Amino acid sequence: MAEKSDQRASEALLVTPAPHVGIRSSSARKSWLVAASLLPAAAWGVMLFGVPALLVLIVSIGASLVSEVLSSLLFRRFTLNDGSAFLTGLLVGLLMPSGVPLYVPAAASAFAILVVKQSFGGLGRNWMNPAMAGVLFAMLSWSGAMSNWGAAQGILGNVTSLPPLEALRAALAAPEVTGRAPLAVLAGAGYRFSNGDASIIAWINSRLLAPLGAALQPGSFDVLVGHVSGRIGEISAPLLLLGAGFLLHRRIVRWQVPVSYLASFLMLAWIFGGLGAGRGWLAGGPVFHVLSGSLILGAFFIASDPVTSPLSEKGRWIYGLELGALTFFMRYFGTLGDGVAVSIVLANCTVPLLDRWLQHREAAPLREAS
Amino acid sequence: MALDAGLGKRIAGEHRISMLLLGLCPAVAVSVRVIDALWMSAGVFSVALLAALCGALVRRWGRSGEGAAAGATVGKWMGALALSSCLTACFEVVLLAVAPEASASLGIYAPLIAVNCLVLGSAGTGARDSSITRAVLDAAEQGLGFSACLLLIALLRESLGAGTITLFAVDGFNGVIAIPSLARDPARALGASGAGLLCLGYLGASARLLRWRGEGREKELSP
Repeated sequence: MAEKSDQRASEALLVTPAPHVGIRSSSARKSWLVAASLLPAAAWGVMLFGVPALLVLIVSIGASLVSEVLSSLLFRRFTLNDGSAFLTGLLVGLLMPSGVPLYVPAAASAFAILVVKQSFGGLGRNWMNPAMAGVLFAMLSWSGAMSNWGAAQGILGNVTSLPPLEALRAALAAPEVTGRAPLAVLAGAGYRFSNGDASIIAWINSRLLAPLGAALQPGSFDVLVGHVSGRIGEISAPLLLLGAGFLLHRRIVRWQVPVSYLASFLMLAWIFGGLGAGRGWLAGGPVFHVLSGSLILGAFFIASDPVTSPLSEKGRWIYGLELGALTFFMRYFGTLGDGVAVSIVLANCTVPLLDRWLQHREAAPLREAS
Repeated sequence: MALDAGLGKRIAGEHRISMLLLGLCPAVAVSVRVIDALWMSAGVFSVALLAALCGALVRRWGRSGEGAAAGATVGKWMGALALSSCLTACFEVVLLAVAPEASASLGIYAPLIAVNCLVLGSAGTGARDSSITRAVLDAAEQGLGFSACLLLIALLRESLGAGTITLFAVDGFNGVIAIPSLARDPARALGASGAGLLCLGYLGASARLLRWRGEGREKELSP
């Protein structure tokens, strides 16, 4: 009995020599803070898409928690309170369209927790982001269901059920549509933005931009604030950036990954993005592509996951550049959605190599000196 | 010689696909449908068994003659390869005559039966210094292990990835069993080759777990 209590005490108290640094940070605290920072974007999605979006979120989070409990029973370690399962479920739900059948988010969450996370040893040992792998599994398994966007109840007027990025891809497939910016292509293809967007853009153009000889395209406001169709959590860039700002302020997210990711994607999209649409060099419409799809959500909340991103600063820069290039190629030349999910999963696979390579490079001068 | 006490364990836990990840190419390729896995299993089992038997007989015959010294290891394995290839060619011809659809479905992977047999070591068993019974039993164990592993992977992949289980067609039955809830919306990603590797990973882990529990955890952890 006494031996058992001694063993428990030694497990609870780690005795090490000074100096000691006391911090309140823990994996669980970080997970819960990341989940909290995603809530504004989730609330916006639920407000726009209604009860079906809420059901998708509840099912994905519920399935994730149930899977965590099952794996806890199997591996005999209780990890439900570390918040990672809740965060994984929330991310899976946010990356689903609101019209998806409920078995899809349930299966994606279960795959994320049971296969990607727990099979490799649990939190901290997974080699790819569980939520992103779960979403990719759903995209590959039920591509039709993952394109079921559902109806949106717009605040500023009607919202077209097809997301702008998907509509743009469909419009660009027609050979006669060339030589125009993304929003102009959408307008030419008959894509309808809300009445509120038309009023606001008309006001901005006439009052603010007319003296400067500039004008905004119709749809700019809707795309900027996220008053469009899409996946539940990806549409509102301002609310996602608000949450990302909080995480950056609390130093939960390292800024190198999202900055290098977004910058490299912007540069590539600006330089080469117009070539496919016949607009030539330096005419890619990068802002539209950054605001559309799950790029911001992926860059700040998923790609910067400390478990699946490189350890060194240099590694994080390279990783971000790699992500930007992969997303650009996948989005402009691929067929798997907006390219973010595939890019992050592929880039996750290269992280151990990056870590090992940079570790050897950084250790080499020390070895030579010794 | 009696059957080995660890026969079940060797069939379930020590076969080379899941434990050593050998013979992966045909294992992943033909495990998309249960019927393809059945044909491949039948081919590997029969060729492995016959190769082991013939190899052991030739070795016994060779030892009795003056050319026993010529039975160098390389020569024995070359002979085993030639023997497996001949038997595989025979199996291909028989399969083409009996079940041309299965032959077309197995395609390039049918000739790889010879490679599988070498990987399983069954052909070489006959070339090693062991009795005919031992050689045949070894080949049967490895063939059963391969078949069990392949069928399990195929069953998982086809049922979850396509929502069906494809078996032999008989009168009035087309051979396809549709699983009610899965046939409409199967998880198609599990039919991909990556899912085959995933299944192999779980099989390997399960086999190691069984072995670990059998031998005792302390022994496994000791350096």
